[in-house]
Amino acid sequence: MHLTPVELKKQRRLATTWSITFLILFPLLIALGLLLRLSQSELMKLLLANSYAFLTLHGWGMTGVLFSVTFASIWFLISTRFARLNINVGYFVYFTILMGVTGLTIATLIGKFGPGWYMLYPLPFKDPTWVPWSIRMATVSILVLSTGWLIGIIHVLSALAKEYGGFTNLLGWQYLVNQKSRKELPPIILITTVSLTVGLISIITGIILMFIYLFQSYETVLIFDPLLLKNMSFFFGRTLSSVTLYCAAGWMYALLPEFTGREWKTNKTLVYAWNATFFLILFSYLHHLYIHFAQLSSMQYAQITSHLSAIPATAITMFGVIMQLYHSKTKWSIVPLMILLGMGGWAIGSIAEAVDSTIVFNKALNNTLWIPAHDHTYTLMGIVLFILAFLFYLFSEKSNEKDRVAKTGFWIFVIGGYGFLLMLYLGGLSSIPQSYARYAGMRIESMHKKAVFLSQISVWFIILLLIGLFIMFFSLFAKILKKENPEL
Amino acid sequence: MSQLIPILTLQGLAGIILLAGTLLVIAGVILLIATSAKSDKESIGEYKVFKKRSHYFIGLSVVFVVIIFVSLQFLPYSRFQNDADEVVTVVGIQWDWQMAHGITNKTPHQFLGKNEISLPVKKRIKFIVMSDDVMHNFGIYNSKGILLTQVEAMPQYKNELQYTFNQQGKYTILCLEYCGLVHGFMTATIHVN
Repeated sequence: MHLTPVELKKQRRLATTWSITFLILFPLLIALGLLLRLSQSELMKLLLANSYAFLTLHGWGMTGVLFSVTFASIWFLISTRFARLNINVGYFVYFTILMGVTGLTIATLIGKFGPGWYMLYPLPFKDPTWVPWSIRMATVSILVLSTGWLIGIIHVLSALAKEYGGFTNLLGWQYLVNQKSRKELPPIILITTVSLTVGLISIITGIILMFIYLFQSYETVLIFDPLLLKNMSFFFGRTLSSVTLYCAAGWMYALLPEFTGREWKTNKTLVYAWNATFFLILFSYLHHLYIHFAQLSSMQYAQITSHLSAIPATAITMFGVIMQLYHSKTKWSIVPLMILLGMGGWAIGSIAEAVDSTIVFNKALNNTLWIPAHDHTYTLMGIVLFILAFLFYLFSEKSNEKDRVAKTGFWIFVIGGYGFLLMLYLGGLSSIPQSYARYAGMRIESMHKKAVFLSQISVWFIILLLIGLFIMFFSLFAKILKKENPEL
Repeated sequence: MSQLIPILTLQGLAGIILLAGTLLVIAGVILLIATSAKSDKESIGEYKVFKKRSHYFIGLSVVFVVIIFVSLQFLPYSRFQNDADEVVTVVGIQWDWQMAHGITNKTPHQFLGKNEISLPVKKRIKFIVMSDDVMHNFGIYNSKGILLTQVEAMPQYKNELQYTFNQQGKYTILCLEYCGLVHGFMTATIHVN
């Protein structure tokens, strides 16, 4: 595929716009989390309505922004290397998502809408403090966001299908029938296809769910099945979270070989593994519903799929990384370092998730701080590190550029991040419930003290994490300015 | 540390598994950084792990099959339990728990119970848990603040949880499913004699 310099510049500008948006929104969303931790630590008093509105926006914002930026990075890599993508569709997706984010911000910060990011039915309609306009605004905003993602994903998948001769070829099925004349399929395309197709199914589920909520907000006599809607809600949110991680892991397959000098090609094993993962991710959300004893028995055996999903994903990706890096000539600039540590974060988060996915443990860990702990491990120390790796890759002059400032920021971020996560894990192991804006009402004094103590330490680690992030941002903004205006 | 997390509990075991896994991941990361070549000459052109990968694949599959087989013997669902010695009906309502002995034929909205209840020690208790409004979660904590078990309280559904209190004392119920602004204050007490 050949791009003209003008086309390349346009795609680069879109990627830069996304990057700057991420660099602004990400610390703001962390600040909301910090405010919640401050309230839990009793160092600051927040109104309950504000705490839960912040928590809701933090959850929606992080899930939405991280998926959007991951998608934007995939868009850039595909449009500049593998298939022609329409820049106007790219900007349409960008502005749709921006509109959705603005709507959610208004609904939560002005309307004080705070049902948590799961928005479990029928909670949004049962708390008298949330006014109907804020519910409708949040619902319509998620619909707008989802429409943007839907159009973007369909455009990418159809452009790829056209380029590689059909959708099944994107899933690598031609490798299974030993088709001789096949066009080589880069691993990033295989993984992108698997992830985005699952993403598409989860987003369509989310759109149906939001329409149900919208009807409910106008027709108060309607009653829907809360268990079915909870399944839909988790299938939407949790699956999208997993998809973000898999998409981000996809570029690692594309970027790491540039640093190690070793090839990473699609083969039969990779095709089998990612096709199996395609099937298994669909069921991964179910471990959040083990304690719903009324759930269908067959769905409670999701533990089997949850555990099995670790086998192809780790066997292929982990050994792939070892194959790439072991005794390689990698110069440890910030990009490969972030990719490797991102893999580490993914692995640690997955171990914690596997423990929670075991029903016997689940009854003692579910709904405690263990849940945000494992979630934040693969988000903060997985997805975010992958995204930052991509940004440094995008804006660095040379792939192995030495950048002491950024590296200092990176290590401060990692220490702050893991310190923050450790407090969440200790909280989970101490049975402290998740989603408590304050711990004063729990009637178990020893646990109350422990919860406040862990929150106070957590605040310092979040501040450290933010310092590290700002140091990296300083280095990134300098690179962006230099790259966008070469004469500077 | 033992003050912070009691070791001989499910939580303690979960912590040990995570710690062991994390140390393994850290060792792997350090190994990969440490073994990278200082110069191009030192590096190996390609490193094949196919044999090791198949061993890992088979090993992990066996481990998971064993874990799945063993752990599925201890499911909390009623079809895996024997008959209970006593039944308690529980209804969650924003933001309170109503509990009463026996099975009720009233709807959750009509049901009236108390926020405190006394139960016998070493007897199998069946909790029939419902909700009158939104999703709640009936989490049972012992006096040390350790979460023993939990079940969701859902509108339109009944969830049955069986549990045997092996020690006398005061147990606290906390709501573990976010249910609105006063969620963190939705508690109840069980006295086990």
